[in-house]
Formats: sequence, C-alpha cells, structure tokens
Amino acid sequence: MPSLYVFWLSLNQSSYGTGLTWVGLENYRAVFEDPYFWRAAVNTFLVVNGVVYVELLLGLALAALFVSGVPFRGLMFACILMPYAISEVVAVLVWKMMMDPNIGAIARTIEEMGFGRVNWSASPTTGLVLVGVINIWTHLPFTFLMIYAGLLAIDGSLYEAARIDGATRWQRFLRITLPLLVPTLLITLIFRLIFAFRMFSEVWLLTKGGPARLSEVLAVYLYQHGFRYGDFGTASATGWMMVLGSLLLASVFLFAMQRSMKGGE
Amino acid sequence: MNDAYSPLERLARGLLLGFILIWSVAPILFIVSSSFKRQVDIFVYPPRLIFTPTVDNYLKLTSQWQDFFTSMGNSLIVALGATVLAGVVSFFGGYAYSRYRSRIAAWSAVYMIAVRVLPPIVVTLPLFPVADRLGLGDTHLLLILLYATFWVSLNTMIMKNFFDQIPYELDEAAYVDGASEWQLVSRILARLTFQGMAAGSIFVFVFSWNEYLFAMIFATNQAKTAPLILSELMGAVDGTEWGVLFAGVTLQLMPVVLLVTLARRYLIAGLTAGAVKG
Repeated sequence: MPSLYVFWLSLNQSSYGTGLTWVGLENYRAVFEDPYFWRAAVNTFLVVNGVVYVELLLGLALAALFVSGVPFRGLMFACILMPYAISEVVAVLVWKMMMDPNIGAIARTIEEMGFGRVNWSASPTTGLVLVGVINIWTHLPFTFLMIYAGLLAIDGSLYEAARIDGATRWQRFLRITLPLLVPTLLITLIFRLIFAFRMFSEVWLLTKGGPARLSEVLAVYLYQHGFRYGDFGTASATGWMMVLGSLLLASVFLFAMQRSMKGGE
Repeated sequence: MNDAYSPLERLARGLLLGFILIWSVAPILFIVSSSFKRQVDIFVYPPRLIFTPTVDNYLKLTSQWQDFFTSMGNSLIVALGATVLAGVVSFFGGYAYSRYRSRIAAWSAVYMIAVRVLPPIVVTLPLFPVADRLGLGDTHLLLILLYATFWVSLNTMIMKNFFDQIPYELDEAAYVDGASEWQLVSRILARLTFQGMAAGSIFVFVFSWNEYLFAMIFATNQAKTAPLILSELMGAVDGTEWGVLFAGVTLQLMPVVLLVTLARRYLIAGLTAGAVKG
C-alpha cells in the first residue's frame, strides 16, 4: 500500500500544507535532469559494491576460521557480534573520533606511519570511504553469521572422504566448500546489497551529504528533497526508483528460492 | 579436518583472528574507557590503557543533561512496547502460518517478505501526513507501531520455523486429551517455541533501541529516543564535553552489549532461522 501511494505522490507536485497537483511524469523528468541525483546514484552504487564484496570476503575468512576451531569460541562469538548490536549513531560517533585528523588515534597512527594526514571530511571520496568502513564494521557480524551457518550445514563426511583420497586442505576448500557454499554466499550477497542500498544514517550523520552535496547517497537525496526542501513529488519519484531497485535485487533472491523449491530440495 | 597446521599457518590464523577481534571490539572499548577518563587523558596519543579513572563525566551527565535521561526513558518505553507487540503478533502469526495452509497464506507470506525489502525511507513519505492527521506525530505509540510492524514479518517467519519443527502429532495428542486450541497454544506450544520468541524479541528490542531514521523523522520533541539526543549532542559538543558525551554513549550501549553477550545462544538460533537485519 505505501509504495502505491508513493507512486501516486510521485506523479503529483506537493509540499507541506498544499494539496496535490497532477503533473504526470514531470517529477521523474526533474529528477533525471538533476545532476545531484546522478551523483547520489553513482555514490550509492560505488559504496554499496565496495562495501559488500570486501565484507563478503572478510566474513568468509572469519567463518572458515571459526569452523576449523578457535579458542574461547563462545566469548569470541560475543565479541564479534558486538558491533551488530550498536546504534549507527554510536558507530559513526566513535569512528569519526578515531579518524579525526587532530585527535583521532587511527588518523594519527596513519600519519605517523608516513601516509600523510587523512582529512576525510575534506573530500567526498574520503568521506564515502569512511562511510564504507563504518558500514562494514556494523554489518560484518551479519555476513559472518550467515556464512558460518552455511558452512555448518555442509556434510562433514564429504571432507572425510576427500581427506582419505589425499586432498590437501586448500583443495578441499576449493572443491568442496566453495561450490557447496554458493547458495549461501548468493543469499548473503543479495541481503547485503539490499540493506546497503538503503544506507542513510552513516552518510547523514557523518557528512550531511556534503561537501556541496557531493557525498549524498540516494536515501539522503530523498530525505533532502522530501523533508528539507518540502518537495514530496521528486522525493517520491526517487523513492519509487529505490523501490524498483530493491525489488530488482530481491527478485533474484525470490527467483532462486522458487527454483530451489521446484527442484524439491 | 584435524590435520595439523604448520607454524606459519597457525601464525596467519592467529593474526587474522586478532585483527578481527581488535576491529570489532576496540571502538567499543575506546568509548567505555574514555567515559572514565579526564578530558586531557582522552586524546593522549598513543591512547593509554592505564589511567586514573574518574566518574566526573557521569556526575556531570546526571546534573547537566536531563534531556538524555528523558530520552533513555523514551527509548525504553518504545523498545519494550515494540518488543511485546511484535512478539504477540508474530507468535500467533507463526502459529497460523505453520498450522493452516492455504493459497492466501502463501501469498501473504511472499507479500510480507516483499514489504520487508523496501527501503524504510520510502515508507516515511506516505506515512508522514497520515501520522500527522491521526494525531500520532511525535508519540511513543507511533514509534512502537512502526518498529513492531517493521519486525513482524521477519519474526513471524522465525516463529513459523520453530512451529514447523513441532510435529503435528503433538497437537493431535493434545486434542485427544481434551485440550482446546487455546490451551494447546498457550500451555504447550508457547513453551516449546520459547527459543524463537527470545531470539525475535532480542532483534526487535535492539533494533528499536538503536533506530535512528524513523525516530529522526517522526519524533520531533516529546518522543525523542536516545540515539537522537546523542546525535544532537555529537553535533553540539564544544570541545570540552567529550567525556560527558562518552558517558552518555556508554550508558546507551550497555544494555544491548549485555543482552548480546548473555543471550547469544538464542541470537544465533534466531539468526540462522531467519537471518535479516536492516
């Protein structure tokens, strides 16, 4: 229902306290002609992709490590899950502090190591990189748990057989683990793409989309237009684009789900 | 898979594990330890683990930042309300999906997942005027309804998974013994699906406790939750109050850190059953 209403809104011009005026596809034209929209779209695309693949690799490495045994498993688990339970506001706050060029411990360390001063807030690129880092920090536990669950579901006797046949650990990983893990990796990938796609708080709290609106992502663009400029029409048009994007990503998942059901698994 | 690792491999594994541990935990330790430091100690470089602890920041927080405690109260009301509401709805929802099968049920399940996929910010647009007209703007009730709605779809699926694991023969046996459906559900099934309930409740609680976007748009004054106040303080801190801010942050994150540590068994059970956050 809400999404249909958004679609209706996107075809009209409206603002706080004013009624709807039918403008047809005018809002979409306005959005498409707005360079800031394209900037936001490109930013979203870059950050989402950068974040998700790095995170998937880290999650896989970590899950493989856990499956093959680590000391103090329960405690380790709790530690690694921790960032997942923490508010994005707090995550942004602490990373912002640690990366502060004057007082932040990480920024100072980078400087001491001779890589120069990181002034992440000065350019949209470094700002978005930091957004990516924070995003990975908060969501790695999710990725890790998904992949870990997938690894645990693999039948152990397969490894036994392979070991008797003399396969090395690396061969077993490449020939057994990875192929069997593909469905899990795919689902994790899609979930993370969908969730990263809606990212808002990190960017909003860190840069407010600045400098000069150059680090906006789509959700921030939408917020600015809807709640700042009071232009519900273009905001809704953006919203509807985001809905389509999400559904497109999700349809891959739903399609895969339906196929696996048909296959009788 | 128990063949031995070479020393080099063991070193690499240790390094990776160490790196990820520091990566996950260090920022949190930084906040908590800083909340007990004097201003001059917070920004010492390199950061020190040994320092003279002080509770000044906490005292200052209680005396000067009344807003923060009001907002913690709001967070608590909203998070508990949403948890209870989502818990009740998804318990019965999960039961219904598990025991009654029909085409409508199947379609509504797909619909629920589809709705879950939508970016939350898109939902705020049509909701804003509606909430306003119903007089729900800036109320606890609105946030409770929003957060519960947001989680019901996922929790219902988690609950369905747990109900599915209980054989239907058990239901039949209870009916044969003369139990009504209500008795069956409330006395027997509720106990057997406790793990799922616990896992789902933790998700809703942690999410509602931390949520920022909806709160920012819908809670303008009366119903402000703690993350909102923290974000405001973050913008307003004037260079001398970092310690106080850290004290507030520590208080805000302690409940969830404890919850995750103590209840991780349920969490993992729930995550592997349903596996979504966003």
